[in-house]
Amino acid sequence: MPSFTVQSPNLQETGPIVEVRLAVGSKIEQVLQKSGQKIPQPVQVHAMIDTGATGTVVREDIIKQLNINPIGITYIHTPSSTNVQCYEYLMRLMFPNTVLVEAVVIAAPLQGQHVQCLIGRDILRHGVLVYTGYMNTFTLSF
Amino acid sequence: MTEALKKEMETFEAQKAELINRSKGKYALIKDDKVVGIFDSQIDAIQQGYERFGNVPFLVKLIVEVEPPLNFTSNLLGV
Repeated sequence: MPSFTVQSPNLQETGPIVEVRLAVGSKIEQVLQKSGQKIPQPVQVHAMIDTGATGTVVREDIIKQLNINPIGITYIHTPSSTNVQCYEYLMRLMFPNTVLVEAVVIAAPLQGQHVQCLIGRDILRHGVLVYTGYMNTFTLSF
Repeated sequence: MTEALKKEMETFEAQKAELINRSKGKYALIKDDKVVGIFDSQIDAIQQGYERFGNVPFLVKLIVEVEPPLNFTSNLLGV
């Protein structure tokens, strides 16, 4: 079972944050290869595991760096807004230990500079999340 | 919201009633003013979209009367 464990100095303070590399989806990669176009390099981000998020969110500027186009539109509710339209993109998320997940993510602004991605329940539904608070570790397995 | 997929959303809204009648719960692949195909899964529709159109905007939409919104409890989201 592919998995990774992250140790944090203070898990309560920082939350479950993991370094993830974001890349274009495998189908986009095939299309770009076929047409002789350059495949964008993956972008490394800090992602927070967020059990309060229905879907996975990536900050808009990261999407621009990957030069991909929207494949859907969805609506989101947040603590301060309802029915906000957001674009959806196909993307590959590369977690530590070469754990790969392909997902349709939402592009949205994320406040602050420390987190560029929220890992939502669309990805967590495929796995097992173990949050060991007293050891300041968490493990995600698929 | 910018202009990408505006035409596709208009196409979906214009044909929504008919799509619900014949393919409720499936996914529509839409490019410009055409419903290109209906698929059982979202990923099948997306893959077909890339194969047919390449790395350009296209719309894959779940065919339902009211799409359930995605909920976020985090105040990190700036919307």
